[in-house]
Parts: sequence; C-alpha cells; structure tokens
Amino acid sequence: MPDDLQVWLAECYPQSVRTAYLILGNRLDAEDAVQESFLRAWKFRDSLSRESSFKPWLYRVVVNTCNSKLRHDIPRREGRVNDVNLVDIATNDDLPGRVALSNDVMCALRDLPVHLRVVVVLRYYADLSERDIAIAIARKQGTVKSRLNEARTRLALHPALRTDASRVPATSKEVNG
Amino acid sequence: MTMIDEDVLINALNDVADTFVVSSEAPDRIVAEAAANEPPRRSHHVPTVISQPSRGRAYLVAAALVAVIASISVPLFRSEGNPNRAVVHGGPPPFGTSAQKLPLGGLKGYSAPLAPRPGSQKGTTITASGAATTSTGATSGVTSQKIESNGSIALAVDKGHVGAAFSSLNKLATSDGGFVASTQANAGSPRPDTFSYGTIVLEVPQRNFARLVAQAQRVGRPTSVSTSSNNVTAQYVDLQAHISALVASRRQYLVIMTKATTIDGILAVQSQLDALQSQIEQLQGQLNVLSHETTYGALTITVSEVGHHAHKASPLSGFARAWHDSVKGFFAGFEWLLRLAGPALFAVLTVGGLWGLARYVRRALRRRRI
Repeated sequence: MPDDLQVWLAECYPQSVRTAYLILGNRLDAEDAVQESFLRAWKFRDSLSRESSFKPWLYRVVVNTCNSKLRHDIPRREGRVNDVNLVDIATNDDLPGRVALSNDVMCALRDLPVHLRVVVVLRYYADLSERDIAIAIARKQGTVKSRLNEARTRLALHPALRTDASRVPATSKEVNG
Repeated sequence: MTMIDEDVLINALNDVADTFVVSSEAPDRIVAEAAANEPPRRSHHVPTVISQPSRGRAYLVAAALVAVIASISVPLFRSEGNPNRAVVHGGPPPFGTSAQKLPLGGLKGYSAPLAPRPGSQKGTTITASGAATTSTGATSGVTSQKIESNGSIALAVDKGHVGAAFSSLNKLATSDGGFVASTQANAGSPRPDTFSYGTIVLEVPQRNFARLVAQAQRVGRPTSVSTSSNNVTAQYVDLQAHISALVASRRQYLVIMTKATTIDGILAVQSQLDALQSQIEQLQGQLNVLSHETTYGALTITVSEVGHHAHKASPLSGFARAWHDSVKGFFAGFEWLLRLAGPALFAVLTVGGLWGLARYVRRALRRRRI
C-alpha cells in the first residue's frame, strides 16, 4: 500500500529529520518528531489534494509536531541534552575556524525563541521560500519576513557571535532600516 | 541594523545538519508502522462548504447578509407599513393610544379610533350621533372597557364674535350633560390690528363626546380638528387589583392588631397599617382620576377671530418655501443617517462576528486535518 509513502520518505525524510534536528537540537527527538509527522501526514493525506504543494504542507506537519514536542514532551523530561556536536565537522572540513563559527551559530540559534528558530531553519536550511514558510507555519508572509529579520538581528547580537571580534565583520553586514 | 550574513547562516546550518547521519532503517520503520496502523479506507469528511475556503466564506457572508437584511427590514415594514396593526388585525383593541386627524367640515360617519373591526363583536364605538356602545368579548366580563377621549378644535369666528362663540360652546356642554372645565380669553381692542381669542375646555360624558365634537364645529369655521382616544382598561384593572390586594393586607393587619398584646407589637402593626393606608389612598386617587377621565371626555376649543389666524399663517413665498424645505431635508437626512446607524452597526458586528467564527472554524479544521 504505502508506495506513495515510500516515495515521500525517499524524497523528504533526510531533510525533514535534519530540519527537526536543527529545531529541536536533539537527535532522538528529531527522529521521533519526523516519524510522527510522516505518520500523521500519511493519515491525513486526503487533505493534501486541497493544498497547493506538498513540501510546505509536510513541513507544516513537521513544524507542528516539533512545536508540540517543545511545548509538552521535552520540558517534562529531565536532563535533556542537546547533542549538537560539531567536533565531527572537523573531519569533513579542514577549516577549524568554520567549525567554531558553526558551533557559535548553533549556540546562538538554540537561544532564539522557537518561533524565530523555526523560520531561520526553514529558510536557510530547508531552503523554503518565504511564501512556503508562511504556509508551513500558518502565518502571513509579512510575519515570516519580520521574523526572519528579527532572528538575523538577534543572532548578530548574540554574545557567542560578538565576542570573537575577528569574526564579526565576516559574519555581519550593515543594512538599512 | 546589524544582521548576520545569510551565507554564514546557511553554511553553519548545513554543517550542523551534515553531522546528523540519517538512519536508513527509520523510513522502513515508518512504512511498517503506517501499514500496521492503516485504518479502513475512509475519506476524511470535511463539510464541503467549510473545506473550500472561498466558497464557504461566500456562503457565510451571503447568509449573514440575508439574516441582517431580514432582521432590519422585517421590523421596519411591520412598523412603517401598518402603524395601527394591532387595531386592524384581530383581538381586542390594544391598551394604548390611538389618534386620528379628522377631516375638516364635519364628522358625519365618524367613528372613534377604537371602533370594532368588521366582523368583530368587541370594542367601543362612538358614533357621530353620540351613542356610545361598549361591548365586551371573551376577554372582558370583569370590567367594561375604559376609554378616555380627548380632542381639540381650532375655530375661526368673525371679528367681535368670540364672546358669542364662548356662550354657544358653554350651552353645548351643559346641554350634553357636561360642564366647562376652564376658560381663557384675550379680548382685543376695537383697533383693526388687534384680535380677540380664547380657549375653552369642555368636559362631557363619554357617550356625548362625539356629538359635542360635531356640534362645536358648527359654532365657527373649524381650521383644525383632532381627537384621540386611549383604552386604559388595563391600567384601570391593574389599579383596582392593586387596591384590592392592599385592602386585603390591611384587613389581615387589622386582625393581627386585635391579637397584639405588647406596645411594640401594636406600634409595629400600626406602622404597617399606616403605610398600607397611604398606598391605598394614593392608588385610589389615581383610580378616581382615571375614572373621571373615562367618564368625561375633554374637548379643548380655541376660538379666534378670522384675522388673527390669517395674520399668523402667512404663506411662504417660493424661495422661503424652498429654503424651508431644504433645511427640513437637511435635518431629515441626519435623522435618516441616525436611524440607519443602529442597524448598520448591528450588520457590521454580525458580519464581523460570523467572519471571525468562520475563520476560526476553518483554521481549526485545517489544524485538525494535520
């Protein structure tokens, strides 16, 4: 039966689970959330025909599940550990500075409020357009824009990215307004 | 404003995401679980109207508009189309006020506003001949209909005839079994630019009221005639019932008084009795006034010399009338706007509320679907 599901999984599972991972900051939670999301999406696949495109719809399910986990499951669990460990990146990349920067960006991302973190991840990792993000988070496009701006501003002002004076010019830029 | 560079962000997020090694077993687990949990195939039923947002919204807005228009127009038609609806359509005459302007030049065939409807045996008829008949239907039998009648007539008489008109009117009242309740007269001088005028209030038994109205118009040239009648039966019965209840209470207190042995007890009962007595007398006074008003009809007649009226009622010229109409129309426009403001506000609130509700339901359904 679920040939379609297998197609979905083949196309979207890796990126979905990584997106959830960036939002939740925990590997197991991300896998749980995405599994739940796919099952839910499959269950309510009838409503997909009324949606304009599949990807934003699926991401909406993923985001809702992540939000649900962040609201209910994770806060009740003791000793939650964020397992973002970028030391592994050093093996894939020869630039230790880049590893350190990514670590700092992740640290700053984790300190963002969830609603800002979600739009940043959807925009800059999942590569959704602002319109698709608006569909995914069930908000207006203007809201997405303002959230992205706020998130980028907050990230630039985060202590982890400001303390290292040598990197600041490289990671930030002046924009009007 | 300083913002983090987009490329830096993209690279950092990709770097972090790349550290996540996607398990190849996870998709298989999901497929297996989906297969296990696959319910019997049924469509997720969502009402078509709601599941198609634009269509559903259009239906809701249309329904709201129809409801609003109906709620506005029905009362308007009912109140404007037939102001005397309660009098015209079945049942006994309403306990309210009804009035009618009478055509000048006589009261032949005149029936008071509370005349019975064709085919009805209930109501009160006062005919021009003066015969007043009160018949009671199913609702009566306890108290006959109590009608109070009032009227006013403006008469114009020739110069120097105001006094004679007053005398004639006085005779009319006494001959009909009534009396002169009050008079007020202003006598003019012999000069041509001064005029005499006065007002006389006649009261006659209700059964003779219509005849008095007819006769009074023959004394001079009537310039305006108006009469009104109120059915005050309900008020009358209400007062009677109230008084009866108070009298019964007073009787009970008197019984208690005979049994009271202490000074405090006697004083307390006496206090209650005094209060009751006061209320009874007050209501009895109202009842007496009402009884008098329903026994006698009052006709106010203003008598003035012809020139007096002509002087006061100078016709407007074309421009003046146009200006007058313009000002009147201006204020009528305001009145119209004010009258529409209430229904419009109601309409806006209703449509807004329905729109909000529809939006909420739509969002909730979409959320449930996912």
